[in-house]
Amino acid sequence: MRTARSIMGFLGFALLAGFILLPLAQTLFLSFLSTIPREGIPEGQATLLNYRNIVAMPALREAVLNSIIYALLNVLLCLAVGLPAAYAFSRYRFVGDRHFFFLLLAFRVTPPVVLSLPVFILFAKVGLVNSPVGIALAHCLFNIPITIWILESFISGIPREFDETAFLDGHNLPGFFVKHLIPAIAPGIGVAAFFCFIFSWVEVVIARILTVTAGKPITMAINALFGFQTDIGLVMAMTVVSLIPGVAMIWFVRNHISRGFVVRV
Amino acid sequence: MKRQNNAAWLFLIPSAVILAFVGVVPLVAVFNYSFHDIFSLDQAYWIGSQWYEEIAGSQRFRASLARSLSFSALVISVQFSLGIWIALLLSRAPRYRTPVLMLMAVPLVVPWNMIPIMWLNLINPETGLVGRVFEALGIGFDYKFTALHTWILLIVMDTWHWLGLVVILVYAGLSGIPPAYYQAAAIDGASRLQVFRHVQLPRLAGVLSMALVLRFVDSFMIYTEAFRINAGGPSGATTFLALDLGENINGFSYGIAAARSVIYFLMVLAVAWVFRLVTQAREGAGQ
Repeated sequence: MRTARSIMGFLGFALLAGFILLPLAQTLFLSFLSTIPREGIPEGQATLLNYRNIVAMPALREAVLNSIIYALLNVLLCLAVGLPAAYAFSRYRFVGDRHFFFLLLAFRVTPPVVLSLPVFILFAKVGLVNSPVGIALAHCLFNIPITIWILESFISGIPREFDETAFLDGHNLPGFFVKHLIPAIAPGIGVAAFFCFIFSWVEVVIARILTVTAGKPITMAINALFGFQTDIGLVMAMTVVSLIPGVAMIWFVRNHISRGFVVRV
Repeated sequence: MKRQNNAAWLFLIPSAVILAFVGVVPLVAVFNYSFHDIFSLDQAYWIGSQWYEEIAGSQRFRASLARSLSFSALVISVQFSLGIWIALLLSRAPRYRTPVLMLMAVPLVVPWNMIPIMWLNLINPETGLVGRVFEALGIGFDYKFTALHTWILLIVMDTWHWLGLVVILVYAGLSGIPPAYYQAAAIDGASRLQVFRHVQLPRLAGVLSMALVLRFVDSFMIYTEAFRINAGGPSGATTFLALDLGENINGFSYGIAAARSVIYFLMVLAVAWVFRLVTQAREGAGQ
C-alpha cells in the first residue's frame, strides 16, 4: 500500500515534469540544429552554428546587452526608492498609508497593455523613447510595489530595538540604512532584486512600444528574426539565451519564490 | 506596535514621484484622450463621451468581453484544481519539494512572447515533438482554422506558463499551517477530505485570493501570448479584450484606444478593490 502510493506519487511528479520540460526540451533541441539550407551543412544537422551566429550578429548581441542594462537599471531604481518606503511602512503609521498601499496594489495588477499608449506618448514628449532608462522607469510601475512588499516583510522581521540601538550608537539615518539595515535584510534585498530583474526581463508590451528605432530588447530582436525564411534554430538559440538569467537565479531564491507573487492590501 | 508619525511620508517621496510619473500622469492623460478625437498628437478635438458610447453599444465589445471572461473562468478552474492538488501532493512528499517547486518556477521566468513561439514549434507537424506524434497517430490538430483547437492550445499554454504560480503560492500557504492543527484533526479522526475542507482550505484563503486576483487579471487581459498564436483568429474566435485594444493602438486610433484603456483599467481597479475588501474582512474576522 505504502510503496504503491509512493510509486503513484513518483509517476504523478514525473508526468508533471514531462509537461513542464517538453517545450523547453523542444527549444533546446532545435537550438542545436541547422534549420535553414546552408552551403556545406545539411538541414537538420547538429551544430553550434546558431549560438555562434548570435555572437556574430551585432543586432542580437546588442539586444542581449540592452535587456541586461534596463533590467539592472530597474533593479537599482526599485531598490533605491523601495527601501525607504518599505522602512516607513514597517515602522510607522501615517495619514494615507492604507491609500498608498491600495495604489501599489492597483499598479501591481494593472496590465501593461492598458497603460502602453499613454506611457508611450508621455515618454515620447520627454525624450525617453529608445532608451533603456525609459523602459527601466516604466517597469517601476509593477516592480516598485513588489519591492516595497518584499522589503517590508523582511524589515518587519527585525525588532524595532535594532533601530533604536543603532541610533543610540550615534548613527544618522543614512548611516543606519547602509551599515545596519541593508546588511540585516540582505536576503530580502536579493529576493527583491531577483523579482524586479525577472519581471522586467519577461515584460514585452512596454519594452516593445518604447523601442521604436533603437535600444531593442532581446524579446523584440527575436520577433525581428521572423520573416520570409525564418531561421528557427537561431530563434530557439536566442530563446535559450533569454532563459539563462532566470533559470540560473532560481536556485538562489528557491526558498523565497512565493514572495514574488504575494499581493498585499 | 507601530508609531504614528506623518513625517514617514518623507520616506515615500521617491517612490511616489516615480509612480506618479509612470502611473498617475499616464492615467490622467489617457482619461483626457478618451474624450477626444485624435488625428495626430497635435490635432485633437473634444467629442465628449462618444468613444464610450461607441464601445458600450458595439456587439464586438460584448463578444470580446464574453470571450475574455470565459477564458479567465476556464484557465482559473484548470489551474486552481491542478495547482491545489499538486501542492497537496507536495506537502505529503517533502523530498520532491525543492526540485518540483524550482521546476514549476521555470515557465514564470520565460519572456512572454517566447512562450507562444515555443508552443507553436512544439506542435509543428514537421519539427515539433508533439506535432510529429499527432501526425503519426493521425490526430489532426489545426489551431489556425479550428476555433476549438486554438482555445485548447491557449489554455494548455497558459496553464504551462502559470500553473507554477498557483502551486508555489498554495504550497507556501500549506507550509504556514502549524502542525498542531493536523494533530488536533488526527485526534478527531478526520478523513483527508475533512482535513482539507476544515483545516487546510480556511488557512489557504489568503494565498488563494492572491493567486486568484493575479491569475484573473493576467488571463482577463491576455495579449502577447494570444496575439502570437493566432492574432485573435480563426475569424475572431480568440479576440480577447486586450487584442481589440492592441488593434486600435497599432491602427493609430488613439481616441478609442484611450477610451478602451480607461474602461479596462476601471475593470481591473474594481477587481483590486473587491480583493481589498475581502482581504480586510477576513483579516478583521481573524483578529
